Amino acid sequence: MTPVQTALALLLLPLATALVTALFFRRHAAVGRALSLAAAAGIVVLGSRLIFFTDNFTVAAEWLTLGPLTIKLGLLVDDLTKLMLFVVAFIGFLIHVFSTGYMKGEAHVARFFGCLSLFMFSMIGLTLADDLIMLFIFWELVGLSSFLLINFYHDRPAAVAASKKAFIVNRLGDFGFLLGIILAYWAFDTITLVDIAARLDTSPELVATSIALLIFCGAVGKSGQFPLHVWLPDAMEGPTPVSALIHAATMVAAGIFLLCRVGVIMTGDALTVILWTGVVTALFAGVTAFGQRDIKRILAYSTISQLGFMVAAYALGSLVALRNGADATLAGITAGAAAAMFHLTTHAFFKALLFLGAGSVIHASHHEQDIYRLGGLAKKMPVTFATFTLGTLALAGAPFFSGFFSKDAILLLAWQYQPVVFGLLLFGALLTALYMTRLWSAAFLGTARSEGAEHAHESPAVMTIPLVLLAVGAVLAGYLWFYPSALAAVPAAALALLQGEGHTLVAVAGSAAFVVGVALGLLVYRPGAATDFLQQRLPLLYRVMAERFYIDALYDWYVAKVQQRFAMLLNFLDQILLAGLVVRGFAGLVGLLGLGARALHTGSLHAYVYWFLLGLVILWAVVAGIFNLQ
Amino acid sequence: MSQLPFDPLLAAIAAPLVVALAIALGLPKRFSVKLAYAGFTVPALLALHCWYHFPADAAGGYAFVTQYDTGLTLLGISLKLGLNGVSLPLFVMAGIVGLAAGLYAIQSSAERLKLYLMLLLIMHGGLMGVFASVDVFFFYFFHELALIPTFIMVGIWGGRDRHYAAMKLTIYLTLGAMLSLAGLIAIYVQSGAQSFDLVELRRALTAQPLALGLQKYLFGLLLFGFGILVSLWPFHTWAPLGYGAAPSSAAMLHAGVLKKFGLYGFVQIALPLLPQGAPAWTPLLAWLALGNIVIIGLITIAQRDLKQMVGYASVMHVGYGFLGVACLSALGAGGVVLFMVAHGLTVALLFLLATSVHHRTGTFDMQEMGGLAQKAPVLAAFFLTAMLASIGLPGPGLLNFWGELTIFMAVYNHAGWMVVPAVLGVVISAIYGLRAVGRIFYGQPTDAFLAHQQNHPVADLRWSERVPVLILLVTLIALGLWPRAISEPLNATLQAVYPAVEAAATRLAP
Repeated sequence: MTPVQTALALLLLPLATALVTALFFRRHAAVGRALSLAAAAGIVVLGSRLIFFTDNFTVAAEWLTLGPLTIKLGLLVDDLTKLMLFVVAFIGFLIHVFSTGYMKGEAHVARFFGCLSLFMFSMIGLTLADDLIMLFIFWELVGLSSFLLINFYHDRPAAVAASKKAFIVNRLGDFGFLLGIILAYWAFDTITLVDIAARLDTSPELVATSIALLIFCGAVGKSGQFPLHVWLPDAMEGPTPVSALIHAATMVAAGIFLLCRVGVIMTGDALTVILWTGVVTALFAGVTAFGQRDIKRILAYSTISQLGFMVAAYALGSLVALRNGADATLAGITAGAAAAMFHLTTHAFFKALLFLGAGSVIHASHHEQDIYRLGGLAKKMPVTFATFTLGTLALAGAPFFSGFFSKDAILLLAWQYQPVVFGLLLFGALLTALYMTRLWSAAFLGTARSEGAEHAHESPAVMTIPLVLLAVGAVLAGYLWFYPSALAAVPAAALALLQGEGHTLVAVAGSAAFVVGVALGLLVYRPGAATDFLQQRLPLLYRVMAERFYIDALYDWYVAKVQQRFAMLLNFLDQILLAGLVVRGFAGLVGLLGLGARALHTGSLHAYVYWFLLGLVILWAVVAGIFNLQ
Repeated sequence: MSQLPFDPLLAAIAAPLVVALAIALGLPKRFSVKLAYAGFTVPALLALHCWYHFPADAAGGYAFVTQYDTGLTLLGISLKLGLNGVSLPLFVMAGIVGLAAGLYAIQSSAERLKLYLMLLLIMHGGLMGVFASVDVFFFYFFHELALIPTFIMVGIWGGRDRHYAAMKLTIYLTLGAMLSLAGLIAIYVQSGAQSFDLVELRRALTAQPLALGLQKYLFGLLLFGFGILVSLWPFHTWAPLGYGAAPSSAAMLHAGVLKKFGLYGFVQIALPLLPQGAPAWTPLLAWLALGNIVIIGLITIAQRDLKQMVGYASVMHVGYGFLGVACLSALGAGGVVLFMVAHGLTVALLFLLATSVHHRTGTFDMQEMGGLAQKAPVLAAFFLTAMLASIGLPGPGLLNFWGELTIFMAVYNHAGWMVVPAVLGVVISAIYGLRAVGRIFYGQPTDAFLAHQQNHPVADLRWSERVPVLILLVTLIALGLWPRAISEPLNATLQAVYPAVEAAATRLAP
């Protein structure tokens, strides 16, 4: 197979299994599961071939030409693609395996796996895209698969509402993204990323900034950045493997991937906006996590917060590069892209692990998700406990775990850019350690506080083996030797940052944040406590956090009270004024003029004949009128 | 080119009409139904044949041209048929939608089925004629031929408010048609070409364009004529009401195909013949089109009645078509053609599926449904797919996406900021689309729906319903994946015709 054929086979394989399942095996759980698993395995094989045995390449074909518009769609395989593909293929496969255990006994299993394959197709397409339109097409398709999987339990109103919210909020972001693409086409006369990089000088600064920020809107939606983050916690209504794959490891990280892909268009002003969006998101979501009791929602806010770190990392690295760089372009793997993608990779491992661990807990305790109704699971579920602990350590930034290195690179960039940003992000890191300790001690330590947790026992091997494998990644993905040479470019660039100015200080500060966070967590959130510390001591503050700072309520208010009422008002005007008074009035007037109200009301055919005669008269008048005009 | 021993275009028009005539002459019911299959299938197959054999070297001109003497030579009228890059995609779309609507009608349990099929066949013959006519008189004539059965069908088989709807439809559409006819006849008279042949008219008007004032006047006539026919805001109120009342196959053919008459008239006739007159009107047209997109879009959100909602959604989306026309460019016009094909297929799908939902719930009120996906998962999947296509989601709606994207590209190039409210439509349509899907199919069934189920057990989509759905859906997706099948001949035609339009165009907004 040529590289292009490999890439196409990789892309179309999951689509084919999704279609076959949808068309023929809707009711056959076993077949649907087997097909999807086979596709996931095939993706690993074909993906490995593309990653390890293929040189970087790009290929495109003309898709649509109309007047001055030429749309070429194509594939691009470079270092960035390969790293993202690695994450999608390998973590995707492990989550498929886990799902076969988790979904056992559920209804509509074939639909679940069909949608999962559809997602893999969309995500791989997104990764391989060589131009903005192709990116956008698959960007929308991952949104669609996310929608289908969030409302997998579509008889539950909460799941339906969550899926709708996710889709519409994402569309709001895509509104900007699409405008950005349109502006970019007319600014650069192409949508192909490589060509844009070559023609960068042709566009004025203001236009470039607008394009960059508009495209960033897409990332704000998909990667749950403030203020479009509201859909992501609600998306936890989907089955837990979906939360792990789509809403933690891959799809929500697509916004980061997008930023790195279009990095060439960035300008200093745009990057500053992006930086602060990321910082605000990181802190805001970190704080909100303390007000949640649902294990998946805590992890969801943690994901939002970490995505904020990645966005900030991208902006920081690019800003530092712009400040130091001789030429102001950001082609290739810049410091920002490297730091962001490196954190994306380590995060994919440990957050997928944490979500699957949460899934294992939920599965074992008969769908108990409140951390204060769990407890004492450490002894009952030793493998889950051990791997979850490793994941927690990695996320909290324990020294020598993967998350430590990737976060260190971000903190270092922040230190080099501006102490204020460094301070804020360091505080964010401390929050991470704190809320993870809260979750971990409440769920696993102490004694069981509910019927479900009481009877929990370890999940089957098909679920624990993926946990163990992900745990290996969560621990080791921070080291360069973990990566085969084909994938090493991005981690190497990120780890090279750690040699930069101020590295000892930042490493010590990062470790201190971890230690303080965990110690404070253990001190404040006593293991085995049945209620929340903040809820007892500062009920008002806790309430605000539990209500997610009323941002969701604000959106709900807007939708129900502003948008809906405005729509109703317009509808009223349309029906009453336009359709009723004006038109009926006009018709009545015409009736009075002697055309005969009877003809208007007795049947369409007669009316038509009368109107035809009138029309002929008008016609004659018009033609005669024109004669006069000349 | 064509290998057939007969003229495929004439045969595509004549087949449904001949079948209709046979039914009218008293063919027994079982033969009528069998023959109706042929009447609906033949045009689709011939359209595909023409498409497949469309010459690559047509260079923007007409192919499959034939001319029949009608005895009206004195007036310059002859039945001249042919296809160019603009009409070919619409001709194919008309064939496909007609087939789907026909199949759906045949299996429907409509009362007086023979009469219903006869009228539908006449309508279909007229539709094929609209897009195959090179002669402007017959272009108009075929439109009327298709329009009259629409009125009758709404009046007889319509749902709620059918008499008022039929009357309103008649008044509006006749007015629109009259204004367009006046404009077309005036062009004929003024051009001095002594012919209704579009090619002759263009030649005459290129050689000696009409005076600027006259062009403005005539374009205005066509603007309001075509505008009313395509439900330009605020002349749209007939559409949701009419479609709400119309029987489903009639709604499919009218909203899907016949309504494209006006937009097609702009692209094929009004802009090429009156290039200097258009710029005076297009700013107004663009504003009204934004009215379609934003105001009607918001109104669509407020709808409770499924069929009315689909009607309003269709009115909203034609705003994109008007916006593309207002750009006065090959890109905008090309986008309009792509959009029309996508919109025709999608709207037909939605009307069909809305009726299928109605058969199972006994109501069009979306607040009395819920949870239908549990009982009818295939219907749910098709409806969701159709709705996503309608809101331009790449995937099922890839063709819709290409149409909207090219129009947006054209709008930004010619009207700057106007692209912002236009793209906002993408968000608005997602809101009403998903809300409808959620209310009908997801969650738990409402009490009203449960009560209905007591007496009418719900079954999933039958094969007789699936076949027309699949015909539409497969066409839509295939064209989305390979838009060049349409865009190559289209682009050739536009490159030949539109330089004059673009030369006269002015920017709409800063």
